[in-house]
This record gives sequence, structure tokens and C-alpha cells, in this order.
Amino acid sequence: MSDVRNPLPTGTAVPRNPMPTSGTAEIGVSVPNVSVRGPEVPRTIEALDPVFTVSGLSVFYGDYEAVRGVDMTIGNREITAMIGPSGCGKSTVLRCFNRMNDLIPGARAAGKILYHDEDLYGDHVDPIEVRRRIGMVFQKPNPFPKSIYDNIAYGPKVNGVKGKMDDIVEEALTKAALWDEVKDKIKQNALSLSGGQQQRLCIARAIAVKPDVILMDEPCSALDPIATTKIEDLMQELTRDYTIVIVTHNMQQAARVSDRTAFFTAEVDADGVRHGRLVEFDETSRIFTNPSDKRTEDYITGRFG
Amino acid sequence: MSAQHRTAAPRTSGSLARSRPRYGELAVKVVLLLAALVSVLTTVGIVVALLEPTIEFFSEVGLGEFFGSTTWGPLFNPPAFGVWPIIVATLEITLIAIVVAVPLGLASAIYLSEYATPRVRKVLKPVLEVLAGVPTVVFGFFALTFVTPLLQDVFPFLGLDGKNALSAGLLVGVMIIPIVASLSEDSMAAVPNGLREGSYALGASKMITSVRVVVPAAFSGIVAAIILAVSRAAGETMIVAIAGGFKSVFTLNPANEMATMAAFIAQAGSGDASVGSTAYKTIFAVGSLLFVMTFAMNYLSARMVQKYREVYD
Repeated sequence: MSDVRNPLPTGTAVPRNPMPTSGTAEIGVSVPNVSVRGPEVPRTIEALDPVFTVSGLSVFYGDYEAVRGVDMTIGNREITAMIGPSGCGKSTVLRCFNRMNDLIPGARAAGKILYHDEDLYGDHVDPIEVRRRIGMVFQKPNPFPKSIYDNIAYGPKVNGVKGKMDDIVEEALTKAALWDEVKDKIKQNALSLSGGQQQRLCIARAIAVKPDVILMDEPCSALDPIATTKIEDLMQELTRDYTIVIVTHNMQQAARVSDRTAFFTAEVDADGVRHGRLVEFDETSRIFTNPSDKRTEDYITGRFG
Repeated sequence: MSAQHRTAAPRTSGSLARSRPRYGELAVKVVLLLAALVSVLTTVGIVVALLEPTIEFFSEVGLGEFFGSTTWGPLFNPPAFGVWPIIVATLEITLIAIVVAVPLGLASAIYLSEYATPRVRKVLKPVLEVLAGVPTVVFGFFALTFVTPLLQDVFPFLGLDGKNALSAGLLVGVMIIPIVASLSEDSMAAVPNGLREGSYALGASKMITSVRVVVPAAFSGIVAAIILAVSRAAGETMIVAIAGGFKSVFTLNPANEMATMAAFIAQAGSGDASVGSTAYKTIFAVGSLLFVMTFAMNYLSARMVQKYREVYD
């Protein structure tokens, strides 16, 4: 399916939407040469092969409704980016996909998220099983204070994975493009690695349990540009096997890596309460060249946020 | 004052040297230094005070008899100075206390830090800490008048003496639970939440996250808590004096009455030995030995923490 919508060779990490890189001003609505999709590709707002189907999702922290009424789909083996100003609820929505919000006392989700055809918030669903299938990479690299090897082996071990652990560790680190850098110091403490390496280790750790989806919550915000490029290249590689959802503050990053983009913003309702809202969800090239909502246009052209 | 500052014309010339002396700063520094020195000087004072009578003691008794025989009775006639019975009693009661306090203390800490809701924690933690404030004499009488009879009824085959090491050790253990629990909980609460989230995101349960991520990350704090608790247990006097007794028998059986080093010091120091006598100097020799044992324990534990701790920053 993804081949139809991504007519790019998948052998190397080719940016999905090559953008001019000379600054935000160029990501404007009027930039003519941004789109990479040929005119023969039909436009599809909704993913054709959804992994997640979100309908009427609202998230509450106690009585406070942090996010209201989100509808979107996450396509299989696609990269979906969620962008928007701070406090617009994009991380909150992301953390619903692996039921991470369950860990926050008082957090509650209303509405529906279907994972394939199963209700993610159904009574029979075990959040631990959900998180085994849907991995997560966090904003700040959070390797365990253990050896590189033990960091990778942790997930497979706690999930009772059978098989030769050495091979599992090597495979995960290779997939995360970290093996060559760490193979001689695999027993060293993971915290001796650089920030970028730590973040790739966290990606490798997520891969090691063979998830279906990888959620990334601003994975590059604590990294320098070179490390960021490496992570972005890695995401392009991983999308052959995994569905990726990424929250980012970096609009160029969303434009570079994603197939679809969801733009969130915060709205103040009649009672003066702020809620996160999904403003627009569309193919990334469309969002960045011809958004249908004025607020999206203002945000990506830098007039807001 | 501050209004004056604001309206004053900006100084455009003049030296950058201190415009007026700041005596307060110096005074504060001296007071703080003295405060820090009090405990250091007390420790030095204890060592000096212990050293002289200890040296005198060993010139009268000799290391050979002290460490070479197994009959203890400095207050008897003829006196016996084989120190092993009270060392064994001290170690045994400390061991029983550790066996009680470490699992229960750690379990409480894990519950408080990882499982309890904030509301439950807000109630439970102070209650637990109150236990640390119970005078040890209360624990001692509780052991003597409640725990020992109970154990004698429930486990008659143990053949417990009226005063015994088992009850004393159990209650010393209960006494140090709050130290283990409270300090361990502090260091577990200090583990960054990102580590827990990383573990949960891999499909780990709460129990696995607690045991395999949080506890190892808080390891140095937990060991520090246990060291402190063990030192308290080894030096505990009132509980062992009341519930453990003063009779020195060279035995490993915790059903027997046995005097610990601290219990002996309390007994001899409370007037059973006349000042200047050999028995009196024994108090200082035993005190020195207890001091050295505690110090060695702390040193070894500190080395162990250095070796195994997992630094997360």
C-alpha cells in the first residue's frame, strides 16, 4: 500500500518531501516547488490502511479537558507528524496511542481509538500488552543506568522473548544504526554515550521488542543538528518495517520526514478554558503547500506560534 | 532603603573595591563552620576518651585473653575477659534485625514510592516515621512482656528463655524498619520519572519496573539507608538490655538469653563496676571494639556502593 503513496525508492533514506532548506520563510504557502508527489497520485486525507482510527477523542486530566474531539487516522508503515504550538495537546494524544496516559493519576480518555479493529480502551485490553506492541521514544533520551547491552536486552527479557539475546541485541542496534559505534563497548554504561547515541539506543531498545508502531515524542528536541539528521535518516529506514507517529516542534522536520501531518492548536472556548484541538489533518505536502485552514497557514508561515 | 537605591544617581566613577566591610558575612561563615565542627570534634573526643582506658585495659588483660577465650564475665569473681560471646550476640541480634527490617523496609519503600496514591502516601509516610520516634525502651518492654510470651505460646518447641535474642532481634528489626523504608523511599522517589516511563513503554509491569529499574537506580541510597539502620541495630542498647538480658553464654541459639556489647556497656556503666577497676576499663575496650566494627562496616558498604551503583545523571 505504502508504495502507491510513496513513489520514492525505499533503498536509501531519501527525504519524503525534499524541502528547500534555507529557512522557515521558504516553507510558505506560496512556495511553488515544494511538492514531491506527482499529480497522478490521488489525494487521500484518511490513511487507506489505518493502524489507528481515532474518532471523537477527548482527553481529560481530572475535570480539565486537555484535548477535545480529535478525529484522525494513522496509516500503516507511514510516518505521521503531529505539529502545533506548545500546550496544544499533541503529546497528550500521542500518549493515548500506547495508553501511557494511564500512568498519570486522573487522566482519562473519552471517544474511541481503534488499533487495527480493536478498541484500544476496551475493558479487555491490557495496557502492558498494548505497550509491548506500541513502543515509545521520549523527548529526553532516557537510557537505563545499565550497560548498553542490558538496555537493549531489558525489553525482550521482561517480555519473555526466547532466542539468543546476543543476536537480538546486535540486530536491534544494527537497525538503529548504532552497532558499528558501540560494538566494542557493549558492556559499558549507556550513559557514557553522547545524547544522539543515547537517543538511537532508546530507539534500538524500542525496536528490540519488535513492536508494530513506534511513537516518538519530540525525539530530537534535545539533540544537535547532526544527531537530528541521523535520527531522521533512521526514521526513514524504519518506516519500511514500522508505523511511526512523531510529535515535533520543528516544522521542517515534519515536512522532511512525514507522509501525513496533523496540525493541532489550543483554542479558548466560551467559558475561557483552553482545549487542544486538531485543526487540520492531511498529506504533509498538502499541509505545507496548500493548507485548507487559515490557522494552519499562519502557523507554518511563522505568523503564529 | 530600596527606594533610596533606586533614586540615587548612577555611580559613574570611583573604585570597584569593596565600599564597606561586610562583617556579617564573616560571622555567618564562622558560625556555620563551628556548627559543622561540633560533630567532628565530638567524634574525635569519643576516640580520645576511648583510647586511653582501652590501652590501659589491654596492658592489664592482654589481647590474647580478650580475643582468645570464650568466657565473658568481667564483673564476676574471678573475672573472665573472653569477648566472643558478646560479639556473637551483637552480630546475631543485628542479623535477625536485618532479616526483619530489609525486606519489610524495602517492601514498604517500594509500595510508598511506586504503588501508593499520593493521598495514601501522604498519610502512611508520617505514620511510618512516627515508628522511628517510639522510645526504644517501649520496644524493649513490648518484646519482653508481649512478643516473648506470644512466641513461647505459639512456638513452644523453640524453648525460649524469658529473655532471649530472638525477641530482642525482632524488635530491633521493627525499630529500624522506618529508617530503611523512609530513606529508601526518598532515594527511589528521586529516580527520574523518565526511567519508569522508558520501562513501561517497553511493556514492563509495575512490579518489574520497580525491581529492575527503580531499585537499581536508587541502589546507593538504599544501601546507605541499610548501613545506617545496621549501625543503629548494632549499637541498640535498651531493647537488648530489657529483652535480651545480661547473661553471657557462648552460643548461637537465639532462644537463649545473651548480652550484646551495648547491653554489657549499659550494665557495667550503670554502676556495677567501680571506677578505675579493670572491669570499668572493660567498658572502654568493648566500646572501642564496637566503634571499630561499625566503622569497618560503613567503610565496606561505602566501597560496595561505589562499585555497584547505577548513576543516572
